[in-house]
Amino acid sequence: MDLLDLIDAAQSVADGLLFGSTYALLGIGFTLIFGVMHKINLSYAAASIGAAYGSLLLLSGFTAAPAVIVFMAAALCGGVIGALVYFIGFKFIPVANPLATLMSTVGLLLLIDEIIVHTTEGVPLAYPALYSDVVVRLGQFMLRGDLMFVFVLGCACMVLFLLLLYRTRLGIATRAVSQQPIASQLCGISILQVNVLTFVVTGMLGGIAGAMSGAAIGMLSPLLAQPLTVKGLIVTVIGGLGSIPGAIIAGLIVGALESLFQFLRGVTERDLYIMMLLFAFLVFRPGGIFAKAPGRD
Amino acid sequence: MLDLQGIAKHFGGVHAVDGVDLTVKRGEILGLIGPNGSGKSTIVNLVSGLFPLTSGRILFEGDDISDLPSHARVGLGIARTFQNIRLFGQLSVWQNLWVAQNSRQQRQEVFFKRWFGGSAGVQAEIERTLEFFDLAHKRHELAANLSFGEQRRLEFARAISARPNLLLLDEPAAGMNAEEVDQLDARIRKMRDDGFTVLLIEHHVELVMSVADRIAVLNFGRKIAEGPPAAVQDDAAVREAYLGTR
Repeated sequence: MDLLDLIDAAQSVADGLLFGSTYALLGIGFTLIFGVMHKINLSYAAASIGAAYGSLLLLSGFTAAPAVIVFMAAALCGGVIGALVYFIGFKFIPVANPLATLMSTVGLLLLIDEIIVHTTEGVPLAYPALYSDVVVRLGQFMLRGDLMFVFVLGCACMVLFLLLLYRTRLGIATRAVSQQPIASQLCGISILQVNVLTFVVTGMLGGIAGAMSGAAIGMLSPLLAQPLTVKGLIVTVIGGLGSIPGAIIAGLIVGALESLFQFLRGVTERDLYIMMLLFAFLVFRPGGIFAKAPGRD
Repeated sequence: MLDLQGIAKHFGGVHAVDGVDLTVKRGEILGLIGPNGSGKSTIVNLVSGLFPLTSGRILFEGDDISDLPSHARVGLGIARTFQNIRLFGQLSVWQNLWVAQNSRQQRQEVFFKRWFGGSAGVQAEIERTLEFFDLAHKRHELAANLSFGEQRRLEFARAISARPNLLLLDEPAAGMNAEEVDQLDARIRKMRDDGFTVLLIEHHVELVMSVADRIAVLNFGRKIAEGPPAAVQDDAAVREAYLGTR
């Protein structure tokens, strides 16, 4: 492998790392809902794509809405869809049966997918790619403006989210509910409100992640929902179910490796290696990257 | 303050609590004792709203709270501790208190401030509670890493942090040594002097006899005696429940 190949490899790792912030946001959403409810919400990535579509719908009257507005619209749609997912897929489903909510979220995933396919007739829609004309060159090496924007936005969302989780009452209540649901009710916390707010907040993150993938790829397609679901779940497992820092790091790693494997082995084989990475983690580090020793409770 | 009117709880065919009338007066410490399985903890669970009543009513400050969810009862001023400790193990001591802090005031706050506010307004109060329960030096420790006695104190401190009028203590002395029981005794008295009303469920008869103003005795889900400690101690039915008949 000569120097040029090496630069190309580094280039694809950098591109993947930047795009990996999308996976990190999705991983946070999966892992937070798992942390609070001890349930997997399989419809999450589909809802995120749905929210990106929703932002197109909201802004269809405006030509060339500024980037901020596009992403805020996606976050808004994501929050609304998140609340709907909670009320349709979780609120009235018996908690005691772990499979029931899993099946209801599979149903929601298919439902959201079908709604998208039927309203758009399955045709991909162009999504505003932002700063795609900006390119930062460092010798042979270059950083794409649209990916850098996605990365910076993703990091900003994560910082805001971590502040929410560690500095506000909602954050502390969320963590209390995930550790001791009964005791937290007896500390005056309404579990219903915490659940709804968790779905709204993760839905907003998902909406932004959906818009970020749309902006990075330059279009939205219903075909995005399935691979994003799989990647989101892989990120969640590699990061450790319920671990927020794990989801962030795992999202970036999966993004970078995916892009590297694509460079080395081509797009058709790339997901094969990501799956192998997942199996390696399931066998050797089932608790994820930051697996910690169990506490005394 | 708290008025239980003929409350009953049946689990299938088991009548865990079977028609109990009990009144807790403002400012008193009412001890609730009874042999194992007599329904003491079930009463605490019913009052705090963990399971629905089979029949009867629970009145708090004259209002029927029988159908309120448990978090709303905390909002009215009823807090409790657990016999088997239920702390937030992966949160620090300080955060455990923050979770419960001011849950009464918070209910009056608007939705946005209630959930998205920080801890700035309640820090002084949390510090006072930490001092009172001698936990200030452990504030950054994870609750799961505390010793058993410290975890018991933190449970107590967390219940106080909800600023209740009525405090339900479910076997607070379980597993404590003599010195810790003495400290607990002093703290419960201090609570009453500060204006709390306490319902104390306890196996440790000495502690109950020492701090309680009145004592009620349960056996097989029914109340068999009620009165001042000395009278209850001499009651024939109580002796029979604890020691059996000759």
